Amino acid sequence: MAAGATISVKGLAHAFRSGSGSVSALDGVDLEVPAGGYASLMGSSGAGKSTLLAILGGLEPPQRGSVVVGDTDLSRLRGDGLARYRRSTVGFVFQHFGLIGTLSALENVELATILTRLPRPARRARTLALLHAVGLGQRTTHKPGELSGGERQRVAIARALANEPRLILADEPTGNLDEASARGVIELLEQLHAERGCTVLVVTHNRAIAGRASQQIALSRGRILAATCHQSGEGRRSG
Amino acid sequence: MSPKDAFALAVKEVIRRLGRSVLTLLAVALAACLLTALVLISRTAETEVLRQLAKGGPLASIKVAAAAPDPSQLANDNARPGSPRDLGPQAARAIGRLPDVASVVPVITSRMIFVPSAGAPGAGRPEPSYFFDTAVGADLRDPSLLPISVLAGRLPAPGSLTEVAVTPGYLERLRLDPAEPEKVLGAELEMGPPRVFDELEEQTFRALWQRTEIVGVVAQEAAPGGIVTSIEHTRRAQRWSAASDGDTGELELSNSPYTGLVVVADGLDRIGKVRRQITDIGYSTSAPENLIASVQRYLNVVEIVLTAIGSIALVIACLGIANALLAAVRERRREIGVLKAIGARDRDILFVFLIEASLLGALGGVLGSLGGWAAASAVGIVVNSYLTAQGLLGLHLGPSWGVLLLGVLGSTLLASVAGAVPALKAARLPAREAVSES
Ligand SMILES: Nc1ncnc2c1ncn2[C@@H]1O[C@H](COP(=O)(O)OP(=O)(O)O)[C@@H](O)[C@H]1O
Ligand SMILES: [Mg+2]
Repeated sequence: MAAGATISVKGLAHAFRSGSGSVSALDGVDLEVPAGGYASLMGSSGAGKSTLLAILGGLEPPQRGSVVVGDTDLSRLRGDGLARYRRSTVGFVFQHFGLIGTLSALENVELATILTRLPRPARRARTLALLHAVGLGQRTTHKPGELSGGERQRVAIARALANEPRLILADEPTGNLDEASARGVIELLEQLHAERGCTVLVVTHNRAIAGRASQQIALSRGRILAATCHQSGEGRRSG
Repeated sequence: MSPKDAFALAVKEVIRRLGRSVLTLLAVALAACLLTALVLISRTAETEVLRQLAKGGPLASIKVAAAAPDPSQLANDNARPGSPRDLGPQAARAIGRLPDVASVVPVITSRMIFVPSAGAPGAGRPEPSYFFDTAVGADLRDPSLLPISVLAGRLPAPGSLTEVAVTPGYLERLRLDPAEPEKVLGAELEMGPPRVFDELEEQTFRALWQRTEIVGVVAQEAAPGGIVTSIEHTRRAQRWSAASDGDTGELELSNSPYTGLVVVADGLDRIGKVRRQITDIGYSTSAPENLIASVQRYLNVVEIVLTAIGSIALVIACLGIANALLAAVRERRREIGVLKAIGARDRDILFVFLIEASLLGALGGVLGSLGGWAAASAVGIVVNSYLTAQGLLGLHLGPSWGVLLLGVLGSTLLASVAGAVPALKAARLPAREAVSES
């Protein structure tokens, strides 16, 4: 099992060009998450959480500052290099699930293994194992439309794990879920984190969920307000 | 992502937007149908018009007359011949040895008296009950070398003295319906070359009578004349008439062994050269080369215009593909972002959309080309029944794989070009769309 990747961000600034001028989304962010760490990221809407996640996940090259994940310096990567990094190192979980409606749960998860050109026989085996691991071993042929929100997010988590990532980035994974499903999804994430040792960064608006992480980061207007570290285990009390 | 996986994903996308896919597919199919039908029809029209011009014979045929050439007439399709000049086997062999000459068939014509037998269709109606006409005798062993096309029945057997074929002119003379040429088949026709005797200030004819059966109705351009026989038949007739004495003006007697030759060149473009060489040997020639060339030019223009109309329709249909895919890209910005987030490269996205576009183009092309062929065949059947009703040769519309392939490849290619714009747009979408709010 691939070990988690350290996150090391220094002086990260990122702005979006818009009609009138430029909107600063991140402004001098410094951040360290240890390998195998479990961090939560909070902040009001528009604080820059998604932008930070997008940069850490290689969706967008950083404009200024240094971003190193594991041994990859993201500021040096572009295009296909970033795609390879996303494929091999990162697993994404989205608020909107991001499943493809025409594909079954199995095919959605398998798609990620297809993109890494995993040999055909290995694909099916790994996909089925992951769907079992997220508790959907009996729902493999169902399309997203035939699954509940919580189940869809479990499929998405299975897909995020398909290429044995060293970093899981979850952008408000419980934002579209009722309380019970949300708890189930968070507990699943925590369990997988514990089992697989990958680094996890979860964006959330929910204080209770944030409080369960061993490291809590607060972001406001593109800056880190506060970062608190708990002893690991403290945050994992079941609530 | 392997091409196979990209293809599978593209197929799923086509099925996902089934309604829109079917509509765009239909547009491409209709346009491809129009294109192939128009090209097939114009191609067929071209070959058929040329076939009619050549009266079923080879297009590159040249008629050599038993006359010296008039050098000023070389550029003329129907050159006015110079003074008569004997044309025999020796000259025929010399012409046959010329480069670019594929075949030489001798022709002998003979003026004869014809008496349609009583009881035969049309017999006895017009007065008088006999008439003069020219019999055209040719070596019939290989009819494909002659500008003769069979409208009904068959050609006389080579060497036969008892079988003849008649032309539509004969039917007209007997007031028979040219739309039903087969009615005359099997009728008897008595014919004979006349010999003129000058007896006591009075001219009399004696004919070498021969009873024959009409075995075919043909259109022919080998030499002017209403009846086609074997060359053996007209040679015998020629010898009989040649022994005439006195004034034989009406018999158009000639001492030349052959009345003419039908020469086939190795191609339409060689006709001019072969005609010049035959002129050098010393004989007058005529060939429909200028007529064929100008007809071909006009037909080419028609073909270009029709092909352009079909192509424009296909381009419009492919713009429909581009439009549908652009809408799909707009609707699926976030999904494309997600695909990138889980590791798809720009070119993977590009391929999926390109495959989707060319899949619609290829499917539409296959359906449309087959439909176009069916449409052209239907038109062919209608035109054929009209042509046969007019007593003309029916046309033949074979399966033209080249045109069908053109329809399929053309629409596939155009569709992928049209798909390139949305595909590039999708491929260039920023991956951060995956975490966008909308
Ligand atoms: N594609 C974009 N173009 C322009 N501005 C953007 C874009 N994405 C985000 N922003 C701006 O960047 C800031 C941070 O956005 P985001 O990271 O999405 O915030 P959060 O996820 O914390 O709500 C906001 O002010 C937002 O308006
Ligand atoms: Mg956000």
